[in-house]
Amino acid sequence: MSKNLSELSGRKGLHGNLFEKLGDAATASGTPSEDEMKSLANDFLMGTANTYGATTFYDFLKPDNKNKKVYTCSGSVCMMAGTQDGVKTSLNKHFKEEEVGHMCCLGRCHENGAFHYNGKNYSDKTDEEIASIVKEAVPYQEDTYNVYCHGTPILTQPFQGVDKLYQGFKGLLEKDQNELIEIMKASALRGRGGAGFPKGYKLESCKNTDSDVKFIVCNADEGDPGAYSDRYLLEKQPHLVLYGMMASGYMVGAEWGVVYIRGEYPESVETTEKAIQELRAANLLGNDILGTGFNFDFKVIKAQGAYICGEETALLSSIEGQRPEVRVRPPYPTQEGLFNKPTVVNNVETLASVHHILNHGAAEFTSIGSEKSSGTKLVSLDRCFNKPGMYEVDMGTPLRTVIETLGGGFKVPVKAMHIGGPLGGLVPISAIDRLSIDFETFQKEGFLLGHASIVCIPEAFPLIQYLEHLFEFTADESCGKCFPCRLGSVRGAEMLHKAQHESFKIDRELMDDLLETLEKGSLCALGGGLPLPIQNALMYFEDELKGFFA
Amino acid sequence: MKIAYIDNQPYEYKEGETILNFINRIKGERSVPTLCDAPNLDPFGSCRVCSVEVALEENGSCKTQASCHTPVMENAYIYPNSKEVQKLRKNIIELVLTDHPLDCLTCEVNGNCELQDVAAQVGIREVRYPEGANHLDRQKDLSHPYMTSDLSKCINCFRCVRACDEVQGQFVLSMSGRGFDSKIIKGLDQSFNESDCVSCGACAQTCPTSAISDVFQSKAIKATDKTRTICTYCGVGCNLEVSTHNGEVLSIQAPFDAEVNQGHTCVKGRYAFKFYDHPERLRTPLIKRNGKLEPATWEEAYDFIANKINKIKEENGPDFIAGISSSRCTNEENYLMQKFIRAVVGTNNIDGCARVCHSPTALGMQRTFGTGAATNSIEDLKHTDCIMVIGANPTAAHPVTGAKLKQHAIQGKTTIVIDPRKTEMARYATHHLALRPGTNVAVLNMMFYYIITESRVAQSFVESRTEGFDDFKKDILALDLAHLEEVSGVPREEVRAAALAYADAPNAMSFHGLGVTEHSQGTFTVMQIANLAMITGNIGRKGVGVNPLRGQNNVQGSADMGVQPHQGAGYMDISKSEVRELYEKFYKVPLPKEIGYKIPEMYAAALDGKLKAMWIIGEDVVQTDPNTQMVIRALAKLDLLVVQELFMTETAKEATVVLPGASFLEKDGTFTNGERRIQRVNKVVEPIEGTKPDGQIIVDIMNRMGYEQADYTGPTVLEEVSQIVPFFKGVEWDGLGENGKQWPVAEGGVDTKILHEESFKIGEGKGKFKYNAFKESEELVENEEEFPLILTTNRELEHYNCGAMTRRTGNVELLTEDVLMINPKDAKKYNIRNGDKVGIASARGEVEIHASVTKSVRPGVVSTTFHFPEIMINNITSDVHDSEAMCPEYKVVAVKVRSLVAQ
Ligand SMILES: Cc1cc2nc3c(=O)[nH]c(=O)nc-3n(C[C@H](O)[C@H](O)[C@H](O)COP(=O)(O)O)c2cc1C
Ligand code: SF4
Ligand code: SF4
Ligand code: SF4
Ligand code: SF4
Ligand code: FES
Repeated sequence: MSKNLSELSGRKGLHGNLFEKLGDAATASGTPSEDEMKSLANDFLMGTANTYGATTFYDFLKPDNKNKKVYTCSGSVCMMAGTQDGVKTSLNKHFKEEEVGHMCCLGRCHENGAFHYNGKNYSDKTDEEIASIVKEAVPYQEDTYNVYCHGTPILTQPFQGVDKLYQGFKGLLEKDQNELIEIMKASALRGRGGAGFPKGYKLESCKNTDSDVKFIVCNADEGDPGAYSDRYLLEKQPHLVLYGMMASGYMVGAEWGVVYIRGEYPESVETTEKAIQELRAANLLGNDILGTGFNFDFKVIKAQGAYICGEETALLSSIEGQRPEVRVRPPYPTQEGLFNKPTVVNNVETLASVHHILNHGAAEFTSIGSEKSSGTKLVSLDRCFNKPGMYEVDMGTPLRTVIETLGGGFKVPVKAMHIGGPLGGLVPISAIDRLSIDFETFQKEGFLLGHASIVCIPEAFPLIQYLEHLFEFTADESCGKCFPCRLGSVRGAEMLHKAQHESFKIDRELMDDLLETLEKGSLCALGGGLPLPIQNALMYFEDELKGFFA
Repeated sequence: MKIAYIDNQPYEYKEGETILNFINRIKGERSVPTLCDAPNLDPFGSCRVCSVEVALEENGSCKTQASCHTPVMENAYIYPNSKEVQKLRKNIIELVLTDHPLDCLTCEVNGNCELQDVAAQVGIREVRYPEGANHLDRQKDLSHPYMTSDLSKCINCFRCVRACDEVQGQFVLSMSGRGFDSKIIKGLDQSFNESDCVSCGACAQTCPTSAISDVFQSKAIKATDKTRTICTYCGVGCNLEVSTHNGEVLSIQAPFDAEVNQGHTCVKGRYAFKFYDHPERLRTPLIKRNGKLEPATWEEAYDFIANKINKIKEENGPDFIAGISSSRCTNEENYLMQKFIRAVVGTNNIDGCARVCHSPTALGMQRTFGTGAATNSIEDLKHTDCIMVIGANPTAAHPVTGAKLKQHAIQGKTTIVIDPRKTEMARYATHHLALRPGTNVAVLNMMFYYIITESRVAQSFVESRTEGFDDFKKDILALDLAHLEEVSGVPREEVRAAALAYADAPNAMSFHGLGVTEHSQGTFTVMQIANLAMITGNIGRKGVGVNPLRGQNNVQGSADMGVQPHQGAGYMDISKSEVRELYEKFYKVPLPKEIGYKIPEMYAAALDGKLKAMWIIGEDVVQTDPNTQMVIRALAKLDLLVVQELFMTETAKEATVVLPGASFLEKDGTFTNGERRIQRVNKVVEPIEGTKPDGQIIVDIMNRMGYEQADYTGPTVLEEVSQIVPFFKGVEWDGLGENGKQWPVAEGGVDTKILHEESFKIGEGKGKFKYNAFKESEELVENEEEFPLILTTNRELEHYNCGAMTRRTGNVELLTEDVLMINPKDAKKYNIRNGDKVGIASARGEVEIHASVTKSVRPGVVSTTFHFPEIMINNITSDVHDSEAMCPEYKVVAVKVRSLVAQ
C-alpha cells in the first residue's frame, strides 16, 4: 500500500502496465529474470525490491513456479471429492514431479478432477483422456453444465446480440448522470462480491470525488473454491458485464474499465476479450461513443494466482504491479483507488445486473426478492448434487427449493454445506429450512450469503480435516500484512494437524482465543472471516470434534 | 464543536483525526500500545495492537477497530482499554512471540525494544501454542559499513519499508513472498551492501526491534545520555540527538519533533561522526621551523602569531593581513573572527567560503529583493503546487531537503529541473531542461519570453510591488530565441512548457544550488530566478519564493555575521560613515574604511606581494578552491599563514602555524540554516585533549593582542551579536528552544517564516526587475577549441567538500574515490571504457582519474567531484569568476580527455 508506488505505476498506467509486464516477463521461463526485474524497476522509477517483491507474491510468477508445466486443482470441492490423487497419478506419467504444481479452484466444482494444462482447464477426465490431452491429440472441448433460471431471468437471460443489448444506450448517455445514479440507488442493488454494499452509493461517492481520471474495475478474481458464477457470466454473458461497466463509467465520469480476471480462468479471459472486440467492431468503444461525447475503453488484466487479489484494495495494488497487500480504509477506493484515482470496484455479478435495472427501472428490480435483497442471485452447486450447475433464483427463494427442486437433492449423504466461499458459514443440514437465498436470513442465522456457492461436506469426510483445510487455505493465501492472520492461520493449521496425527489435544480456550483474535483483529475478511465456519463447526458438530480438544 | 467520548467522557476532536491521535492527545502519548505505527509514517494497520472498542451509544454494543487508521466519528463512544481489547492485544502479542527468538537478554536493543515494551504493557506471561514453524534461523546481514539486519527479530511491521519509501523515497526495501513466509528484502533479496541503500538510517531508526539496526547500535540502551544539537554538514540544518556514554559519542539519531528534519537525516548527519576522535585529529599547535611543522605549546603559538602580525602591521600596515572564516563554525565564532580582523587587526580583509559557493545568491537576491536569504521555509513544500530545481542536486548535496523534494516529484506534482545532468530529481521530474553548462541565463530568459508573450504575467503583483518591468519586458521581447535555443541546447517547446507550468501553478517555489552560482553569470542567474518569482507573483506567502540551497551548515550565518569584506555583522555597509560609527561605538575602537579583499583578490595580492599574512579557519582552500597551483603559489609567498583545523589538510600543510580546533560536537553556539533558522548547537563532549573551540582560539589571540574579549561561550557571544545585528534583536539563547527561530527575530522573540509579505527591503520597497543578457563563459570562448568538452564539478552524497571529515568515517567504504562521469558517446569517441584511467586536461594542467561511463551526463559534458586529495581536480579548474560576486566558475571548465590505458 504505497501511494508513491501507485503514483509511479500510474505514470504508465494501463498502457504498458507494470503488472502485465511482470506477467509477460514470466511467460518464457515461468518467472521474470533478474535483468527483467531490474529493467522494469528502472522503467517505472521504483526499486528492484518492488518488482522482486511483487513477483514472489504470486503463485504463477514466483521463482518456485519456474518449472511448472501442469497444475492440479487444490480447491475444497476437488479435495473432498477425492479425485485429485488419481489426476496426479495420471499426470505423473507424463510430467516430472517438479513440473506439477497446483492451482486453487479451477471453477470445475460441478464435476471435479480438475487440472490446468497449457492455458486450458479440464475436469473429470480418464487416464486415457489425460494422455491424449497431454499429447494434444484431441481438440479442446468447452465445459458444459446445467444452467437454469428459477424466477426472473436477469443474469441468465438469453443473449440476443450486441445491437439489442445496446438499443437504449444512446438515450442513456444523454441522461443526467445523477438521475441514473438515483435509479441505481433506488434499485437497492447490493454488491454480490461478498460484502453486500449498495452499488448506488459507491457510484455516488466516486462521482462526487473530483478528478480528471477515474476507473471502473470489475472484480473477476472469483477465488472462492466452489464458486463459478462469475466464470459463467464472463464466459456466457460477457456483454452483460461489460455493459454494466460502461454504464457505470458514464455515471461516475470514468473512461476506463478494467476487468481483472483470475489466471485460473483462461477461457474467461478469452471470451471477455472477444466480447470487447465485438463492442469495438460495433463502434461502441473509444472516443465520442454514439456521438454523445462519452469516451470509454476496456483493459483486461489476467491475474497471476493469489486469492487475496479478490479483496478489492489488494486487487487495485495488484493491477498497479505492487504487492497485493490489503490497504487500510479510509481512503475508500471511490476516493483514492487505482493509481490513487477514484475507482468503483464491483463484482462481475453486480455489474451484470445493471442492464436490467437501467432498462426496466428500479421498481421492477425491487419487486424481485426481499426488502434488503433485491433482484436475483446466481447459485453454484457442486458435484454432490444430483444436478450440479448454475442456477439463477429470485432473492428470497428458500434454500430447500434450491437443494431439492433445482439441485435434485444430494447424490451422497451430506452433513453440512459450506455456503458463500471459504469465509462463509458452515450450514448444517438441520438449518436448511431456516434459510432462503438472501442477505437477511443468512445474517440472522449466523451465516453468510457471500457469493452463494454451495460446497457440500459429505458425511464421510472428517470435519476436522476440513477445518485444517480451511486454516491452511487462509495460511496459504494470507497476504501476510496483518499480524493475526499471518501468524494465527498457521498456528491454527498446525494445531489441527497435530491433533489428527499426534497424541495432541487442542486447548479449547486457546482455539477460542485464536478465533476471537482473528475475527476481531484481522484487517480484512480473509483472517476475519475464517472463524465463522470454524465456530459453526464447533457449535453444530461438537460430537464429531470433541475428541480433538481438551 | 465536535465531540466524541473516551470511556464515556466527552472530548472535542479534530476533523479527520484518527482515534489513536485523539486518545493519545487526551490521555497522553503511548496510552494505546502500537507496533506498526510511527510518527513520520502514514497509518498502515498491520499489527492491530492499537485496536480499541467503539460503540454508537454509551456502553452500547461495541465494534473492534484499529485506532491508528480509523478516523473519529462524531458522538462515538471509544473504549481504549476495555477488557476485550486488552485480551485481544495480549493474544496478538502471544502470536508474535511464537515466531520471535526469546533471547532478549542478549539482544542489542534489550531494554529499548518496542516489542518488549508492548509485551510488558499487555502483560504477557506465557506462549501457549505448541512449537511450530518459525523463522528463527534467518542469517544476519553484516555486509555494510553502517546498516545491519537480523531478520530473525523481524515482526513484519513494514515500518522499514515505509520509511524507505515515504521518507527517503529510495525503494530499497520491500517484502518477498506472502503470508507467514513474507520476509523483508533489500533489492533483489541482496545484502545491504549490494543494494541501492543510501544509508539514511531511516529504516534502522524506525524498526521497533533490532531486526534492522546499524553498526553503532543506535537503539541500544547504553545510548541513553542524549544531547540535542545540529548537524555540521550541510545547510539543511538537521537536528540530531547524540548519544554518549562516559564522554564518548556512541551514536546519533534524529528527533521526530525537529521542525527541520522530523526524525530524518542523511548518511552524513547520522553516521559520519567518527572523524571527531579519529587518531589523525590534530591535538597540539604546530609551528613551522626549518620547513617542518613541529609541535608547540599554545603559548608559543600565540606569541609567535601575535609577534608576526604586529610586525606586519607596523611594517606594512593592517591591510597586508587577511582572514578567511569558516562556514563550518558557529555564528558566534564567525562574528568573533570578523571582529578580530576588523577591530583588532584593523582591516576589512575578511571573507569566507561563501565566496566560492553562494556569494552570488546573497548579492543577486539583495539586488532584486534587498535581502540575500531564502524567502520561505522548507515546510512550505506542504503548500506548494510546483517546484523548480535549478542547478542543484539536492538528493546528494542536501539530502534531507532533497528527500522532501523527491517526494514532491514522485507524487507527480509539477517539478521542473534545470540541470545539465540527469540528476535523481530529474528522473522523477515532469520537466527536465538538460541545458549545456553555463547557459542558465539563456534558458531563464527564454522562460520570461513565454511568460510574457503567453500572457502569464501576474499583472497586479508586478504593478503594485515591483519596478523596472517595462524595460525588462522590452529586452525580453527583443530576444533571439533561435540563438538561445542553440546555445543552450534545449528545444524551445520544452522551455515553453516548463515556463507555463511554473507560471500556471497557484503556488510555485524555486530552489537553486551551486549550479546557479558557480558560473561567470552566477549573480545574474540568481537575479533571473528572483525575477521569475516576481513576474509570476510567487513571493510573500506560503508555498512560494526563492530558496537557495545553502551549501555548508552555516554559510548563511557566516555572511549574516559579517564575514564579507564590504559588510559588517548584519549586512551593514562598512563604507558608510554612519555605519562605521555604529560599529566603532560598539567595538570601542576605530575601524578601517576601505572595503577589503575577496578571497580571489587575496591570492592575487599575495602573489603581488601586497599581502603578507593570512589566517584561515576550517577551510581547505588548496583542495577546494579553483586552480590549485595558483593557490599554493600564493600561500607560499606569505610570511605568516595561520590555519585552524581539525586535520592536517592540504592547506594546513602549507601553514606557518597550525592551531587544532574543535568539532561541532565539542562546542556551543548557533548555526543558521538555509531557511534563516538560527538553531542551538549544544556541546556534546569536551574538546579532545589539546584542542580548543575555534571561538576560544580567537578570543585568546584578541586578548593577546590587547583587545579585551570575554572567554568564548555560545550564549555570551550570542548576546553580543543580538545587540548589533538588527535581525537578531530578539534572539536569546534560551528563547531559541529546540527548534530555533527564523530571522528576522523581533524583540520579544517573534520570528519570521516568510520574507517580503508586504514589501521588499530595498529602496522604496519595490522589487527590482533587471534584464541581463546571456554571455558565453570566457573559459569556453578562450579554450573550447583545444579543450572541446565541458567539465562540471559536483558532489556525492557520501562525502562532504574536501572530505577531511567524511573520509575519516565509514563513508569512505561507501564511496572510495572521485571518478569522471562521461557519456557513452564521448567514451566511444575517445576510446574509453568504464573504469579506465584517463587523463583530463584543461588550460591549467592535467590530472588522472578513473572513468565511469554513464548516461547521466549528456554528450559533450563530463563531471566529477573533489572529495579526495588524490585527484585534486581543482588543479585544472579555472579562475574565471562570477562577474559580480567573484564566485569561481567550478561548473564550466573547458577540458579534453584521453585514455591512459595501453590500447
Ligand atoms: C479475502 C477476500 C476475497 C474476496 N474475493 C472476492 C472475489 O473473488 N470476487 C469479488 O467480487 N469480491 C471479492 N471480495 C470482496 C471485494 O473485496 C469487494 O467487496 C467486492 O469486489 C466489491 O464488489 P461488490 O460491491 O460488487 O460486491 C473479497 C473480499 C475478501 C476480503
Ligand atoms: S486478514 Fe490476512 S489477508 Fe487480510 S490483510 Fe490480514 S494478513 Fe492480509
Ligand atoms: S538506510 Fe535509508 S535508503 Fe537504506 S534501506 Fe534504510 S531507509 Fe532505505
Ligand atoms: S525489519 Fe524491523 S521495521 Fe522492518 S518489518 Fe521487520 S521489525 Fe518491522
Ligand atoms: S541533510 Fe544536511 S544537515 Fe541533514 S543530516 Fe544530512 S548533511 Fe546533515
Ligand atoms: S498501530 Fe494500528 S495496526 Fe499497528
